[in-house]
Amino acid sequence: MIEVKNLVKTYGTKGNLFNAVDGVSFVIPSGTSVAILGKSGSGKSTLMHIMSGLDKPTSGEVLIDGKNLMLLKQKDIDIFRSNKMSFIFQSFFVQAKESCYDNVSLPLEIANVAMSRRRAKIESALAAVDLSDKIKARAKELSGGQKQRLAVARAIVNSPQILFADEPTGNLDSVTGGMVEDLLFGYSKKNKVTLIIVTHDFDLATRCEVQIHLKDGKIDSINGLK
Amino acid sequence: MKLRDITIRAGRSLRQAKARTLLTSLAIGVGAFTITLSFAVGAGGRDYASSIISSNTNPQELFVQPKQDAAHDPGKPKKYSDVQTANFGGNFTMKVLKQTDIDKIAQIKNVVSVTPIYSVAMKYIKAPNSDKYTTTVRSYNSAVKLDFVAGGASGIEKNGIILIQNFVEALGFKDANDAIGKTVQIAIDKYNNGTTPLETKLFNFTVTGVVKSSVLAASPINGMQIYTDNLKAMYDYSQQGSSNYGIFMGAVALAKDGVNVDTVKADIAAAGYDPQTAKDLMSFIFQFIDVLQAILVGFGVLAVLTSVFGIINTQYISVLERTQQIGLMKALGMRRRDVGRLFKLEAAWIGFLGGAIGSGLAIIAGTIGNPFISQMLNLGDTKLIVFEPISIISVVVGLVVISVVSGILPARKAARLDPIVALRTE
Repeated sequence: MIEVKNLVKTYGTKGNLFNAVDGVSFVIPSGTSVAILGKSGSGKSTLMHIMSGLDKPTSGEVLIDGKNLMLLKQKDIDIFRSNKMSFIFQSFFVQAKESCYDNVSLPLEIANVAMSRRRAKIESALAAVDLSDKIKARAKELSGGQKQRLAVARAIVNSPQILFADEPTGNLDSVTGGMVEDLLFGYSKKNKVTLIIVTHDFDLATRCEVQIHLKDGKIDSINGLK
Repeated sequence: MKLRDITIRAGRSLRQAKARTLLTSLAIGVGAFTITLSFAVGAGGRDYASSIISSNTNPQELFVQPKQDAAHDPGKPKKYSDVQTANFGGNFTMKVLKQTDIDKIAQIKNVVSVTPIYSVAMKYIKAPNSDKYTTTVRSYNSAVKLDFVAGGASGIEKNGIILIQNFVEALGFKDANDAIGKTVQIAIDKYNNGTTPLETKLFNFTVTGVVKSSVLAASPINGMQIYTDNLKAMYDYSQQGSSNYGIFMGAVALAKDGVNVDTVKADIAAAGYDPQTAKDLMSFIFQFIDVLQAILVGFGVLAVLTSVFGIINTQYISVLERTQQIGLMKALGMRRRDVGRLFKLEAAWIGFLGGAIGSGLAIIAGTIGNPFISQMLNLGDTKLIVFEPISIISVVVGLVVISVVSGILPARKAARLDPIVALRTE
C-alpha cells in the first residue's frame, strides 16, 4: 500500500517560487495498476520521483507499507529501492555495449543477490519478455521494442513490489508499444505488483485500474479508486 | 554491491572503451618503463660492483692508514708535530706508518696478520727472450678467489708468480698452459735518495698460474701477483738505505675468519689509526650507482606525474559520457559509495594495465639489450640489467595506488550526480 499525504515540492528561489507538486494526497492499494496523467509540466514526473525516493518533497509524506520514506536515511532508501522498486524509462537506458545478460544482471548485483542465484533469475526474466534467444546478444543489436522488453526484464528480475514506468511506450510504435503494455499489465496482474505508469497517453491510461489526473501540480480528478 | 561485481563492471566498461583505455595506460606505461628499467640498471650495477669487489678484495681485509690531521688552513702557519711524515713538497705532508705502528696493529685483538703496503716501482717485466713491458705487481692474497685460465696458486711461495692472460703472448708463450713452469723476470731499480737509480737487478719468477684478464679485475688493482715475502725482498732491495725505507703509507690488516670485520675496524680506530674495510673502499661505486639510479627514476616519476592528469581527464570524460548509466544505477539503488568505487576501480585497472605494459616492455627491452650491452662493455657473462621481482611488483602496485588517487576527483563527481538530473540527460 502506498500512502501519499499532502505532498508539496517547491522549486525556485525566494520571490520566484513555483510548486511542481502542490498538496497531493491519495492511497494506492498493493497490486493496483495506476496511471498518473497530465500534460508536460503538470508535475507527474516529480510526483513519481518523490514516491520512489529519488527526490525529497518540500513537505508531506510518502508511506510505503506503513514505512515513511522521508524518515529513512539515504543508505536505507537505496537498499529499499534496490529490493522493492524498479523502473522503466521512455528511452530504455539499456547499456548498448553490454550483453542482455549483463544488462539484466545489474539490479541483482546492486541488491547483493548471490552469484549462484543470479543466472536462474536472469534467464526466467528474459524468458518472460521472450528474449531468451538474445541472452548473449549485445543490447545495441536489438530493435527498439526489444530494447524496451529488455528494460522490462531488468525491471522484473529482482521481483519488485512496485514498478514505476515513465512513458514506457513513448518511443515505440503502436504494435511494439502494445506488446510492452501487455507484458507490464500481465506481469502486474500475475504477481500482484503495483504498477505506476506516468503518461499522457489516454489509451494506455485507460488500461489501468486507477487514473490520477494532475494539473499544475494539483489533483484534477481520480478515477477508479473506491 | 559487492567489490567483486564492481571490479568486473569496471573492467568491462574499460573494455568497451578500448582505444581510450589503452592510450591512457600507455601514458603511464612510459613512466613504468623508465622506472622499471632504472631499478633494473641499478640492481645490475650493484651486482656488478659487488662482483668486482668480491673478486678483487678479501672482505676480512682492512686497509689501515695513519690518522691524518684535520684539514689545515693553508692561510695560517702550521704547527710542527714530532711525528714522522712523508713530504710531498710545499707544505703538503702526510703522516705515515712505521714498523712500530705495524707491530702495534698486529697486537690488536682478532688481527691475524699485518702486511705493510710495499710500494715498489717495477721497471719492467720480460721473459728471457721477449720484449720488455711495464707492469705492476701486488701481493698474493689467498682469500681472494681468482679466475684461473691455467695452473693455480700452489708453489707461489717459492718465487712463483701469477700472470695475467693478456701478457701470455706478449711474453712469447704459445698459450696459457705453455706459460706454466716457465721463467719471467722483473727488473727493479735501486735508489738511494737520488733521482737516478744506482743499479738495476733482475728477479726471476716461475709462472704457477694464469688468470683471466676480465673487466671484473678493474685496472688499478690489475697486476701480476707474487708472494708477500718476494715483494718485501724487492722492496728492501729498492729502498734500503734511502730515507723512505721503513715507512709506509698504509698497511693491510687481516681480521680473523668468522669475526665481524667491523668490530676489528672499531678496535683499530680506537688505537688511533684510520682503518677502512674493502666495502668502505668500494662504497663510492655504490653511491655513484645510487645517484645515477635516482636520476633515472626521477625522469620516470615525471612521466607518471604527467600521466596522472591523463587519468583524471579520461575519467572525467568517462563520467560525462556515462551520466545516464550512473543515473540508472543510482535509481536502481546503487549507493553513492559504490558508484565512487566503480570509477576508482576503473582508474586502478588503467594503472595496473599501464604498469604491466610498461614493466613488461622494460623486461623485453632489457632481455634483448643485455647481451649487446655486455658485449659492448666486454663484461662476459655479467648482466648489467637485472630485474628483481620485488621492484617490478612495487612499481605496478605503486602505479595502481597513484591511479586510484588520481581517480578520486572524477569518482566523487560520479558519486554526487543527482539521479533525476542524470536520467533527464539525453
